[in-house]
Amino acid sequence: MADSGDRRRFIYNLHEQSKPVGAVRWLPSVSPFLRLAAMSVLSPPAIEIHSFSSQSPNPNPDLNLVSSYPLPSSATSLTSFKSHNYTLIAASTSTGSLHIFSVNPYDGKIESQIISISDKDSFHCGPIQSIDVETSSTGECATAGEDGRVNLVLIGEDKVENFRVCESDGLVAYTAVKWGSPVEFVTGGVGPGLQWWDKRRPGGPVAQFKGVWGHGTVTGMIHSLDIHPSRKHTCVVGGSSGAVYAWDLRWQQQAITLAGTGLEAKSQPFSESEVWEVKYDAFTPQVSSTKVLPVMMCSEDGFLAVLQQDERPVQLLEEPCAINSFDIDPQNPSDVIVALEWESVGILSRGREETEMA
Amino acid sequence: MPGIPSDSSSLIPFALEGSSQPPPVYPLQHGLRAPIHRIHISWSRGNLLNVTCLRPPPDQQEEMAREDDEIGGKAVEVLLGGAILEGNIGEHKRRRIAYESVKSYAFLHDKKISLAKMETGDNLSAPALTYWWQYTLEYSKSIRDILGNARLHRPLIEDPKNFLKPEEVEQPIGTKAAWELMEIFYVDMQLLSWLPERLVDWLEGYDSLLSKTETVHSKLAILQRKVTSMRVVEDEPGYWNGLAAALAVGWLDVVAKLLRLHGSYDPDQFDKRETENGLVEAVVLLVSEMPRMRPNLPNGKLGICYQTKHDYIKGLEKWRVKVSGLESSPFWVHCNHRPTRDGLINLLHILLGDAKHIADATSHWLELFISHLLYIRPLTNGLEGMGNLAEKCMNLKPSANNGLTSLLAGILSENPEIVLADCLKAFGPWIVAHAVDLLTANSEYTDGLLNEERYQLGGASIGELYMLVYAQALASHPLTWQVAPAYLSTCLNQGRGLLEILLLRQPVQNYRVVLKTLEICHLYELGNISTHIMKMAGMYQWKHGHKGLGIYWFQQSRDKTRLSQIAHKLFDNIGKSLSDDSFKQWEGLMELLGSDVGIAGGLEFLHKYREFKRSLQQIVNGGTVEAAKKSTELLVQLMRNPSTPQRFWLPLLLDSVKLLEWRSGPLLGVSETNLLLGKLQELSMAKLRPDFHGGELKPNALGDVRLALAKNLGRAILEES
Repeated sequence: MADSGDRRRFIYNLHEQSKPVGAVRWLPSVSPFLRLAAMSVLSPPAIEIHSFSSQSPNPNPDLNLVSSYPLPSSATSLTSFKSHNYTLIAASTSTGSLHIFSVNPYDGKIESQIISISDKDSFHCGPIQSIDVETSSTGECATAGEDGRVNLVLIGEDKVENFRVCESDGLVAYTAVKWGSPVEFVTGGVGPGLQWWDKRRPGGPVAQFKGVWGHGTVTGMIHSLDIHPSRKHTCVVGGSSGAVYAWDLRWQQQAITLAGTGLEAKSQPFSESEVWEVKYDAFTPQVSSTKVLPVMMCSEDGFLAVLQQDERPVQLLEEPCAINSFDIDPQNPSDVIVALEWESVGILSRGREETEMA
Repeated sequence: MPGIPSDSSSLIPFALEGSSQPPPVYPLQHGLRAPIHRIHISWSRGNLLNVTCLRPPPDQQEEMAREDDEIGGKAVEVLLGGAILEGNIGEHKRRRIAYESVKSYAFLHDKKISLAKMETGDNLSAPALTYWWQYTLEYSKSIRDILGNARLHRPLIEDPKNFLKPEEVEQPIGTKAAWELMEIFYVDMQLLSWLPERLVDWLEGYDSLLSKTETVHSKLAILQRKVTSMRVVEDEPGYWNGLAAALAVGWLDVVAKLLRLHGSYDPDQFDKRETENGLVEAVVLLVSEMPRMRPNLPNGKLGICYQTKHDYIKGLEKWRVKVSGLESSPFWVHCNHRPTRDGLINLLHILLGDAKHIADATSHWLELFISHLLYIRPLTNGLEGMGNLAEKCMNLKPSANNGLTSLLAGILSENPEIVLADCLKAFGPWIVAHAVDLLTANSEYTDGLLNEERYQLGGASIGELYMLVYAQALASHPLTWQVAPAYLSTCLNQGRGLLEILLLRQPVQNYRVVLKTLEICHLYELGNISTHIMKMAGMYQWKHGHKGLGIYWFQQSRDKTRLSQIAHKLFDNIGKSLSDDSFKQWEGLMELLGSDVGIAGGLEFLHKYREFKRSLQQIVNGGTVEAAKKSTELLVQLMRNPSTPQRFWLPLLLDSVKLLEWRSGPLLGVSETNLLLGKLQELSMAKLRPDFHGGELKPNALGDVRLALAKNLGRAILEES
């Protein structure tokens, strides 16, 4: 069904954690020798920073816990970003709070919690399922919750401003949010629809995509969204029934299916379970400029794979348990970190040998 | 478990009437001062008990409580049963073993199913049995790897004074020792001819687990610590004791290393102690040439291997002649160092199989047993002979039994039921669930015994029962419950039912967890269970105000009843008030409900209704004639539309009164008024039916409408004529 990939070129190490891991994110690293990763652990809920040495002579470098910070409830979404030379981590929780921490980029120590918002009335009541931070200019954090609220949190020099973009009174449950430009973002939720929002035009989404999955026989939820900075009009979506599709703002009526029984019945199902996360993969070379850029996905049935339009998926991992989350290192796109259901974290390095030979 | 507080701050279970043995007492450290007023006991996850001990409430001894500022109570967790030996394994290690072993287990059972498919009859044919045996062996090896690979850090330069194996990164765990023991006896058929040597190897790995103090290993560990500070080792009795102990259980490499520490090897003393050194070296040589009935030896181990019994007996005889030759050699007279002479001769006696010397050198009955197998009865074959020997050794050296030794005794007594029961007691449910396949691999008798359906177990077999026990332990933990279905699905009698209960019990608050549960339902084709779960998730979300999610789950579960109930409620509400905000809500809800709802009209009606309501609002606030006319038009459209639900007729008619009473002339023509009158008539008839939805209207509402309509009809007729 899928190419199993050329495993010889991969180095894959599994690190047992002895506690469940929800999400994993690479942190911007200052030194090429010391790599940092943030992860949200679930019992007891906390954020942890781990380090490992990528240049050590030991072929299986250990992940070392550097610091950890407790959260009031389990983290539902995690993101890391750089702002004014600070390394920051933002995490949302299942009780509707948002936390932002600053991390020392040299040793990975969590220095302080700079923001902690939790307000049932003015913020979220119920789990915040997704957050995304706009890093190119405004530094605004968009939060989307199961309660049907979308909020924007502006992180200023001395104060935090929070204003509501949408209040649906529970009619819609949002599960994913992603910035497309400093003023536009996309949300996804229950059902296959996507909403495109523009900060300059408040009152409602400026565009909506209403697709029907599997000709109405299957419906599902959207779990993850990604927008490539160079193609702001295309949004790639991962959701139920192994569906991964791309939605182009310029052709709103039709989405391009990359995988799954999703929107078009003719496409071959690769994985039939939940696609928990999708991300553009900068490491895989692009085949054609007219096609959707390569996308990596992870699924409940344990697949990590790279999908391309009209190509067979390239399978990177096939685990016996779910892959809950993954992240591609923006600085070294060959390196992928994955969080596995069975209390472990894997680090996959692609093409290491090739670079050594060159 | 009933319990009464006692003075000695421990819990004592009630003695059962008529039981001959005194009940076991488990002291519980709760750290509270007597008296204990109350004890609450409740089950926690798995076999964990929560024991809450409470002191008397403060009002009785208020002063006292204030004085010592003592806490009023304490909750303690007590791990019951199982895992007596395995207390040192952390919870996370246990979970890790559970995660890893499910792969091997599922793989083996897939193979079992595919083998069974290939065969037509009830019993597997001979080639299939061979395949089955091979799969089981692979399975056993993979499980053994999961339990921990002994990763040894070998130092680059070996210190000659280090004769013991460097401490392993992971301490040997009892579960692994038990697993290997079962593998030796039940699966590894090729090794049957050199079973005694396998047991020697096994003891080498796990001797330290037999007892904390009374083992060869502990003796040698003490010697190892001391040896660096000893100046003249051969003067110490501990040195010779250690040597004898190591030799008795067949750790020949340790013996050779220790002997080489002998002072006579010292270049300074070599000249004076030449004969002595010659004797030591001769013993080293004999030890390293000891014949062994096994195909090969791992690196660094000493002895000469013999493949066949015939060669082995020949080699053994030759070697024994050499050993007795040395024993009766005239050189001993020239050995001036007495401890060396006595020690070496003791070693030779052990090599020759002198029962007394062997018994003196060993500490535990199992060690004595192994050394009998090595030196006295190396050709012992068959479980019966071994069983007798073990019994003899137990009588000779009565030592406290623990899980491992009782397991060996159970295996030798050829009683699989006892083996499993002992395993469960000592190592917990994991090993028993996985060991059933080992026990039945080569024995049809055991297969029958463990897999026979038993009426008194509710149709389940013993094997299934142990599987269910393990699955239950897995299911009781939020992190491992997802592993349990793999085991439950192999339980043919009770597994399915328990799997359904397990899935239905999962929390529905978090949609991600629900999706994970549904995935398992899908995997095991439990369609009706997934429908149930979706309905439960829907109810939860609906109750908590997440209408969108709630409706989503109802739609997924095709719950027509609840969806149409929601729709009816919605329409009831619409009749009452219609502010902009609430309208948005309804509109959203209508959209969510979509075409699934069995209510005519739906969204289209709702939009028209709102338009009408809006224009009506403008007129009430003082509108123009045009606006009033438009409003009337909308009303007529709504009334003419067959998709307008009947229950909206009356509110619409009531609303129409405002239009009918328009000051500057009639807005409705004759035919339109007749239409409304017709509807009114129909409504009056319908009112008599029992299923009529009247809403909360004033009693004379119909009369008001009728009057207004009649007035309007009169005006309209005048106008038109």
